Amino acid sequence: MIKIEKRNDVPMALYFFTPFIAIILTILGGGIIFYILGFNPIEALKFYFITPISNLYGFSELLLKATPLCLIAIGLSFCFKSNNWNIGAEGQLTFGAIVGGGVALLFYNQEGFYILPLVILAGAIGGMIFALIPAVLKTYFNTNEILVSLMLVYVSKLLLDYLVVGPWSNPEGFNFPETRQFSDSSRMPLLFEGLRIHAGIFLALAAVMLSWFILYKTYLGFQIKVSGLSLKTAKYAGFKGKTMILVVFMISGACAGLAGVGEITGPIGQLHRMISPDYGFTAIIVAFLGRLNPFGIIFASLVVALTYLGAETAQIFLQIPKYTGQVFQGMILFFLLASDYLLFFKVKILSLKKNELRH
Amino acid sequence: MATDLRISNISKIYPGCIANDNVSLQFKSGKIYALLGENGAGKSTLVKILSGVVSPDNGEVFLNEKNLKLSSPLDAKKNKIGMVFQHFNLFETLSVFENLSIDATEDNKSLRVRINEILKKYNFSIDLDVPVLNLSAGQKQKVEIIRCLLRSPKVLIMDEPTSVLTEQETEELFISLKKFCDEGILIIYITHKLKEVLSLCDEVAVMRKGKVVSVSQTQNERVETLANKMVGQKLAKIKKKINISKNKDEIFKVKHLNFYSDDPFETNLVNLNFSVKKGECLGIAGISGNGQNELFQILSGEIITPDTSIIFRNKEIAKLNPKQRREYLMAFSPEDRISQAAVPELKIYENVALNNFKSSNFFEKGLVNERKIKEHSKKILSDFSVNTDNVELKSQFLSGGNLQKLILGRELITAPELLICYNPTWGLDVGAINYIHETLIKINDQEKSTILISTDTEELLKLSDRIAVIYKGKLSKIMPSEEVTPEKLGILMGGGSID
Repeated sequence: MIKIEKRNDVPMALYFFTPFIAIILTILGGGIIFYILGFNPIEALKFYFITPISNLYGFSELLLKATPLCLIAIGLSFCFKSNNWNIGAEGQLTFGAIVGGGVALLFYNQEGFYILPLVILAGAIGGMIFALIPAVLKTYFNTNEILVSLMLVYVSKLLLDYLVVGPWSNPEGFNFPETRQFSDSSRMPLLFEGLRIHAGIFLALAAVMLSWFILYKTYLGFQIKVSGLSLKTAKYAGFKGKTMILVVFMISGACAGLAGVGEITGPIGQLHRMISPDYGFTAIIVAFLGRLNPFGIIFASLVVALTYLGAETAQIFLQIPKYTGQVFQGMILFFLLASDYLLFFKVKILSLKKNELRH
Repeated sequence: MATDLRISNISKIYPGCIANDNVSLQFKSGKIYALLGENGAGKSTLVKILSGVVSPDNGEVFLNEKNLKLSSPLDAKKNKIGMVFQHFNLFETLSVFENLSIDATEDNKSLRVRINEILKKYNFSIDLDVPVLNLSAGQKQKVEIIRCLLRSPKVLIMDEPTSVLTEQETEELFISLKKFCDEGILIIYITHKLKEVLSLCDEVAVMRKGKVVSVSQTQNERVETLANKMVGQKLAKIKKKINISKNKDEIFKVKHLNFYSDDPFETNLVNLNFSVKKGECLGIAGISGNGQNELFQILSGEIITPDTSIIFRNKEIAKLNPKQRREYLMAFSPEDRISQAAVPELKIYENVALNNFKSSNFFEKGLVNERKIKEHSKKILSDFSVNTDNVELKSQFLSGGNLQKLILGRELITAPELLICYNPTWGLDVGAINYIHETLIKINDQEKSTILISTDTEELLKLSDRIAVIYKGKLSKIMPSEEVTPEKLGILMGGGSID
């Protein structure tokens, strides 16, 4: 007989330590997979986790990929902490990129210091508006935000598809599904010559600081915390539940929109079909791996960004498809949830013998 | 074969409360036994012991002189003790037959034959192949009963079986139970409804505060005598001085309070009208589940009902949420301390901040003023003698009594004109209960009003100036408490009428 019981006291230190256990288990699990596939596991893991960041360029790539993950996860933490399950950040990212990209295309042949701030602002507003759809439907029509936000991802992706092959496609582009290149004034300034890391990283860092302040130092943060722990208590305290839902979705959408605009004004420089390798979905893992804590999220976004880079390196050196990155991301989430389960519950194995004796 | 069930010296102690105190009872087949008592009298614990869900600290159970070891529900089943709980244990999306076959030991074909025999024998009309969610509450209960009958039980325990049934379904149930009894099944019927005891049962055991206070033949009992035994006549030591004077202003007035819910486990409220005067305590008595939850939430503003009028200090507040009502100097203490009134995972000072009224300055311009909240919390901890001075302590480490003191303190430190509390002393030890009772009396002495919704009649008689009883969502007439006796309350709470 197996009996599962809730643990009464879960030490805080252990709660923040389990993500590390999950990461170690993921690496071990990855090694086993590589072994089964016929690779030397140590070598393969080295290609996966060490080679990509063994030089300055690789390190800059790591920060480049961590930036959108961190931004989106910070936004999601507002939703998740207050019991709102926004899983459509990928859609909000895409819509933010569409709106921001639209503004950038308006200025494609102009220069000026004001253009980039406009583009960034437009991206944030775009993401915000797109996140408001599931929020409004949830508050006023009682729909399920998980379904609505998820389905809207496909809406925005198809809209982007339509725009880049249709009305916004580059007139001199030989019918490639992409827009014109943005002008230099619409591009994020690069931090170092020869590296792709750009000023968007400051947006992510600012979001971390700001979210820490909001979550821990403001009335809004307090309401989010209470609602996340007990909706009954939030109702009893008289918090304006509807307003709060709208606000957390707007914050979350704005962050995803910023991430989208950061990608198109940073490394990409135009709109095309593949502006994000599912950063919006992967950021859900980042948010939970970071324990919904702003600083935890920084760390988590670096770890998960490494799985993207590792997958690319492994594809080049070991000829394994780069989708192994998703396998690693899945394993991180799996091991995190599994170790959380063991953290909050204990499994007791009762011997059958003892029971039998009583009869 | 005759069945003889004997419970001998059963005791079960939970932290802070004695659920069963040396309980001994004897049951013989051929009779229907009632186990009667208020909420918290210890009936449920006893039933849980008999069905193997809870092990007793002391005492033994004998079935036909065989000493039973009931360490799991499986043991109860093996020993032919069947149990129908108040809340059904059925898979809603599975069919009736699938539900019954889950724990069956025979093949589907012979099982179906046996079920059909039972259906025929007792005149149950249930389609075995429809999903359970399409059944009425009465039919679901029959499915549970069939599940027990399939194991040819010697003992059948029914826990508050009529709470979700209509009058018609109740009658049908009684007819079936009498049939089972004639066939030699020993039936133990747990209830707090006096009339049912008299119309159905042969013998009645009354429990109060964990003890069996009387065992008697129902033919020698009347509604009044049973009510008396159930509620107890022991009056409290501190009795407040009655405080009604006719000229006092009405501070709070409710008109046309109606509430309708689709949820079968919620109670509809039908046209409640009442008012509270300055400095008065209005008690609302009733067995739990008669609409108190819904009433509390409507009075606090968690549920807004259309067409209701609530006047507080000459202002219409029926459309305001709890926070807005607090600004008008109302305060609320819900029944559920650990998942509604406070959050165990939060620190003490964070729980204090839940009552964020305008003049508190807990949150200035949207920012948390931690210093202010902590100062305020320290004052609550010392003024209401909570046994800690550490405002950073997580609330889950407070005992029930101390948590309730913290909640009451949080609600009262704003000097509200009206406090609405629901079972404020539920599950607390005597010391904490006395402290809270004294506090509630003190508020009335300061010309502040209270509405006390409680299932504890002793508490109501001790604290209230006027008392009304809520039964199935309807409010009795409001009586001055000196005219109220425990007997009268018991009758009204059990659905009877007086005068």
